[in-house]
Amino acid sequence: MIRKKILLLGDFSVGKTSLVRRYVDGSFDDKYLTTIGVKISKKLCSIENIECEVLIWDIEGSTPSKKISLGYYKGASGAIFVSDVTRRETIDSLDEHKDIFLSENPEASFVTAYNKADLLTDIARENIELDEDTFFTSAKENSNVEALFIKLVEKMLS
Amino acid sequence: MKNVQIILNAILSKNIFEYALIDKNFIIIDISEGISSYLDTEIKRGNDALRHFPEFVGSEDEIRKIFDNPVFTYVLESIYKNEFYVNITVEHFDENKALVLLHNISDITLSKQKLLQCSNESTLHNNTLQKILNSQNALLFVVNNEEISYTNQKFLEYFGVKRVGDVRRKNLNLYQSVDSSLESYDALFDRLNGKEEYITINNDTFILQASLVEERHKLFTLTKITKLSKEMELDGLTGVYRKSYFNAYFEKLMNENKEAILVVVDIDNFKNINDSFGHQVGDEVLREFATLIQNNIRSRDILARWGGEEFLILFEDSSLKDALRKINSIRELIEAHNFKIIGSLTASFGMTSRNKEDNCHSFLERADKALYQAKNNGKNRVEFKKN
Repeated sequence: MIRKKILLLGDFSVGKTSLVRRYVDGSFDDKYLTTIGVKISKKLCSIENIECEVLIWDIEGSTPSKKISLGYYKGASGAIFVSDVTRRETIDSLDEHKDIFLSENPEASFVTAYNKADLLTDIARENIELDEDTFFTSAKENSNVEALFIKLVEKMLS
Repeated sequence: MKNVQIILNAILSKNIFEYALIDKNFIIIDISEGISSYLDTEIKRGNDALRHFPEFVGSEDEIRKIFDNPVFTYVLESIYKNEFYVNITVEHFDENKALVLLHNISDITLSKQKLLQCSNESTLHNNTLQKILNSQNALLFVVNNEEISYTNQKFLEYFGVKRVGDVRRKNLNLYQSVDSSLESYDALFDRLNGKEEYITINNDTFILQASLVEERHKLFTLTKITKLSKEMELDGLTGVYRKSYFNAYFEKLMNENKEAILVVVDIDNFKNINDSFGHQVGDEVLREFATLIQNNIRSRDILARWGGEEFLILFEDSSLKDALRKINSIRELIEAHNFKIIGSLTASFGMTSRNKEDNCHSFLERADKALYQAKNNGKNRVEFKKN
């Protein structure tokens, strides 16, 4: 069976753990608990009859005073860059996360999540332009979470 | 092999370290007794190591190098496995085996997590506060030990700087905008003493207030009221200054003993316009008349509506000759102007310059007498009364 390592990267408190929990367990908890280190979850995917076990690395968020250990990046086939759409600074720092990840894994695939989209007004949503690899997601309302992960797996397997 | 296992078990204390031995094909050869507590599935000799250690997926090539070279190790820190935090290290055992060590660091990691949680929540609270402060219309700045240590975004935008450090470099010394004799923010704070003061910065009017945030931090707020104060100063119909503003300005000018030339203007036969065309047209004429004068004087000259169809013009820093020429040209412009609906009209001008003994009343009275003279002498003319 194909096994692929993917990372969830982004600033602290953008909802990385909630996205994983929603995708893997189908659940959501509003309480914020800081992730420390990394927790690996498994999910079996089937894309066009190809079975793939996705190993999802939910990595602690980077903070101004704490950067992520580069050891976590090694051997990743893909990444989901997560921002909190209500915190501008978390969107601005996405490029930095991408640069670090791609310098370690130049061939890897990635998608981007503008998470907590349930908190966004319709007008604000219309003012943000998205490309085909970027999704408004809401782990709380289970919006676009599956689509986000599937898109990444498709890109990795293509 | 058995001896090795005994030694390993002895070296690695039960709850701190657990181990697994794997071969080059990532097959489990051996395990310590307590390792299963860190894994969510039952582990047996002969199992695929990648099933129990998904952490190795993607790093297989790197780990294989360890078998051939005792110097290499593979380390992953703070991995959450089955409700424990562990550090995982893969080390050379011999050319066919590698040793996977699990070091339980749950206690210290949970302590770290508490600290990090606290720090992250604090940062989120600070971000929220920052957003609230940035959404305020007032300009906020905090002074600590005579140095501006914090500002909101509105403050930075107003002074055209990007960060607080730039504010310090600019050496703004805002206390001097209140009173040039003030030498510090402490002095300004003492002067305000819980009250508010009007302050002018870059031709904008602000209400300045101050409060103590902590013992050493003084919060100053600048609320811009330029637009509001301007609206209060202007005549609603014509858009030129109100009489009340003119009076205040005039009094200040007289107190400062400044040279000035005063002109009283009156539209000739304005009553006929109101009677013939109605008050709405009369109002429109007043608007057009005021605009015509306003557009033909300098921005620093003061034009005010004195009442009805009477206006005042105050010239400062102007010679009598220049002012006379200007007023005559305005009179001619008015005469030649084609007013909407009514066509043409004329105006009379009474003019005088200030003398040393003048007060507001005497100065104004002389200009008014000059106007009276202009009316008596046939209207549509400028009369000057010597001081």
